[in-house]
Amino acid sequence: MSAVIETSGLGKSYGAHLAVESLDLEVGRGDVFGLLGPNGAGKTTTIRMLTTLLAPTVGSAHVCGYDIATNAREVRRRIGYVMQTVPYRGLLTGREWVEIEASLYHVPRSDVRRRAEEALEAVGLVVDADRRWTEYSGGMRKRLDLACGLLHSPEVLVLDEPTLGLDVQSRHRVWDYVREQRDRGATILLATNYLDEADRLCNKVAIIDRGVVVVEGSPAELKRAVGADLVQIKTDNAERLRAVVGGEPWIKDIVMADSGNLHLYVEDASLALPAVMRIGLEQGVGLEQMTYSQPTLDDVFLLHTGRELRESENAS
Amino acid sequence: MHWIQEVSALARRWWIELLRERLNLVFSIAQPAIWLVFFGAGVERAIDTRVIGTDDYISFMLAGIIAFTIVGNGVSAAMPLLWDKETGYLDRLMSMPIARSSVIVSRFVFQVAQQSVQILLVVAVALVLGVRIESGPLGLVVILFAAALLTMSVTAAFSALAYAVPQHGTFFAVVGFISLPLLFMSNAFVPLDAMPGWMSVVARINPLTYAIEAMRILVIEGWSGRVLSSLGVLTIAAAVCLAVGTREFRRQTGDRVRG
Repeated sequence: MSAVIETSGLGKSYGAHLAVESLDLEVGRGDVFGLLGPNGAGKTTTIRMLTTLLAPTVGSAHVCGYDIATNAREVRRRIGYVMQTVPYRGLLTGREWVEIEASLYHVPRSDVRRRAEEALEAVGLVVDADRRWTEYSGGMRKRLDLACGLLHSPEVLVLDEPTLGLDVQSRHRVWDYVREQRDRGATILLATNYLDEADRLCNKVAIIDRGVVVVEGSPAELKRAVGADLVQIKTDNAERLRAVVGGEPWIKDIVMADSGNLHLYVEDASLALPAVMRIGLEQGVGLEQMTYSQPTLDDVFLLHTGRELRESENAS
Repeated sequence: MHWIQEVSALARRWWIELLRERLNLVFSIAQPAIWLVFFGAGVERAIDTRVIGTDDYISFMLAGIIAFTIVGNGVSAAMPLLWDKETGYLDRLMSMPIARSSVIVSRFVFQVAQQSVQILLVVAVALVLGVRIESGPLGLVVILFAAALLTMSVTAAFSALAYAVPQHGTFFAVVGFISLPLLFMSNAFVPLDAMPGWMSVVARINPLTYAIEAMRILVIEGWSGRVLSSLGVLTIAAAVCLAVGTREFRRQTGDRVRG
């Protein structure tokens, strides 16, 4: 079994309210797995179950082969959990927090200093390590949090909206961090509402809504399933170009736009562009401008979860 | 051993926070000694020595002041746990491979240590004011032990409350309501014999009474079998409070509803 996280029929209800209905997820070793879904879809509840903070009411889940309900201690040894809001407070310095957390993860006493230093270095906090937490900016606080997630070199990192409310620099730092952890061999479960973030980082995403998986796959697959790429061409002879490319098998649809541009709907714009250029040259059609666009994860998301805002959380 | 490492790491956090809060440190360490001086100087002459059973009101009050301090400290002992619950740090701790008991035990260890310093200081002030501890230096050790048992009871009870309440407002409302009655419904300021009947009945089921009884006998009379029986009752009270505290902690960390 290569799945690092595996849930089957995992669900959580509070009385009549169903927070997570029945979730089947499989996260493979080394995956950066994106957990997407509208607010109230059950992302945080799912994460709280996988991090052993909540007991499921139905179904089961295994992390690194250990049952979250019956073998929580083994699960906790193997996960690093970075919560949505930074939980630290008080008068300690960044370094003191990291050292205390290292001890809580049972890093041998003689290694605590070194390990704390490494973790601080990994998030670029060495210079500010001896300043008090209260003086830290939002971005620094988040980085401290991320550093603490690394102390025991966990097999699985669970990140709950790690870039929420961060500035651009801090966001890029977080992304670098995720990539570094992936390269070190960690498996990452990333809950996020930023679809560009999921697109950048994840090799696999699952969109959940009302506590079930609505759709799952690589970002590229999902986008392809939504619709065609669009190639817009400005040319001196649109009619002729339409005639000569019309027969190609990769063309899904051709529309003459009001602007006089030709719109080609194709399976894969990256292959269509050189083909169009080649045909244009061969047939003597002058191409003046070409632009293309691809569906984004936003399109995927909206297609599968609906467009309306959900104020009511009475999903059932 | 992992458990000791966990407890000492958490206690280190409490320790650093206390040291950085200088005013808090000074006030909390000095408070019982100051109370003793105020009571000694201010109230002594208004007291009928036949009621309290000794000529020396300060000797009588010493145990009461220690108990008073412990109840007050119980609130500050539970407060960080309350904040940790609300800021989410408790969740973070619970996602770590640590023993559930480490969190509360670190609080006990820290609290008992801090309290022992306070008690030694108030005893030193009492000695300067002319109090003699009849049971001698070993008696002082037993006084610290009785105080530690009471500290555990109070810390556990207030921690249980901190974990049980939906939000901190309830905690402070309840604590504000019970702290003073808890003291007045004990022998902290008045001996049981001098109380109205109903009050002495209530005082007899109050664990505070037994801690004070043990400490007071050790100061005023010296060694006695009643010290042992009081400590026995106190041990049972501490065990009950600890059980309740652990239960609330488990409930809190077991399965919780949150947004």
